[in-house]
Amino acid sequence: MADIVRKQAVSVEVPTVRERLQAMDDSAVVTAFLGGEERAFSELVTRYQTRLLNFVYRTIGDREKAEDLVQEVFIRVYRHLHRFDRSKKFSTWVYTIASNLAKNELRNRSRNPLVLFQTVQKNSQDEDRPLQFEDTTSRPDDMYRKRHLREIVEESVAKLPEHHRNVFILRELEGKSYEEIAEITDCNLGTVKSRLNRARNSFAEIIAPYVD
Amino acid sequence: MDCRDFCEQHLAFVDDTLAGIELVRMQRHIAECESCAKQDAKIRRALLLFRNLPSIELSPDFSSRLEARLKSCQEDQLAMTQHSMRRGAIAAALASAVMLGYIGTTLFNQPVAPRDILLPPVVATVPEPELTPITTSAPAIVASVSAGLTIWPVALFAEQVPVRFAHSKLELTNYTR
Repeated sequence: MADIVRKQAVSVEVPTVRERLQAMDDSAVVTAFLGGEERAFSELVTRYQTRLLNFVYRTIGDREKAEDLVQEVFIRVYRHLHRFDRSKKFSTWVYTIASNLAKNELRNRSRNPLVLFQTVQKNSQDEDRPLQFEDTTSRPDDMYRKRHLREIVEESVAKLPEHHRNVFILRELEGKSYEEIAEITDCNLGTVKSRLNRARNSFAEIIAPYVD
Repeated sequence: MDCRDFCEQHLAFVDDTLAGIELVRMQRHIAECESCAKQDAKIRRALLLFRNLPSIELSPDFSSRLEARLKSCQEDQLAMTQHSMRRGAIAAALASAVMLGYIGTTLFNQPVAPRDILLPPVVATVPEPELTPITTSAPAIVASVSAGLTIWPVALFAEQVPVRFAHSKLELTNYTR
């Protein structure tokens, strides 16, 4: 009887390591990982994998490559976390790595047109996917409209100059502050504001004919 | 406020970071200027579309692929650590060997310190001044220069100094005095 009571007390009071990690902020999770808690890294991956995938995908426009780059981000984080300046925000550091990798990818593409061709092929393959994967609750014409609209939006974003697009995605999709964007993109605050203003205006101009 | 000011402050206007007075001025301008109102609506609508893009989900094998890569990364790091530790150990072994060698040579090749020579004690006695007569069978030749110094053999200076014969029984006093 006493054993049962003790067991119940333990199960109620002591949260699991995973739960404790989930309750921590990024900085504490990083500290836990550096202190030897390997599971803390999984927590960081869980927190950032989807956000980073979306950020990288919107920047480079290639889903498969975006996944590879996100994996590369985590590998770099794993290798260099002991060098991370803990007085700064972890998320800013992670996005800086992702942003640099995405920039390199775009630069490599512009040098190697074959990569661009592969990307186009992938995109054309995406079009062959059945529509029910998009949204099973909508009517077919709604789904078509939605999918069509999504493609237009993505294409419009892709038309923005690279340095404008990067700032635009960080602000509008990731909700980063101007200061964080300045740190991630290694620009001053004025440049960030100017680029964001131009990106918004350009994006609105590009997409306007399709939505009016 | 004119249209140029409106465009300059539009970024902060959309982000709701304008101060109260500026916000009111912007709103008033939109109410008055149809062109700026259109532009504002166009931008807001475009942003709304972009912000509502469906989120991209990870492929099912993403986690397993990442796990495999992390594992290989861990192994690489471990191998590198072991390699550097091995190198460190070799370096430490070499350093300690050199150190031991140095200590050995300094200990065993140390020059032997000169020991004190033990001699039997010396008893010093004051010799009694004693005149010893020169006993020669034949008469000796003694030459002396004017300065009083006696030089042997006198034959070298025979032509320059007066010569005299000294009797064998002549008792010599101590010349050093």
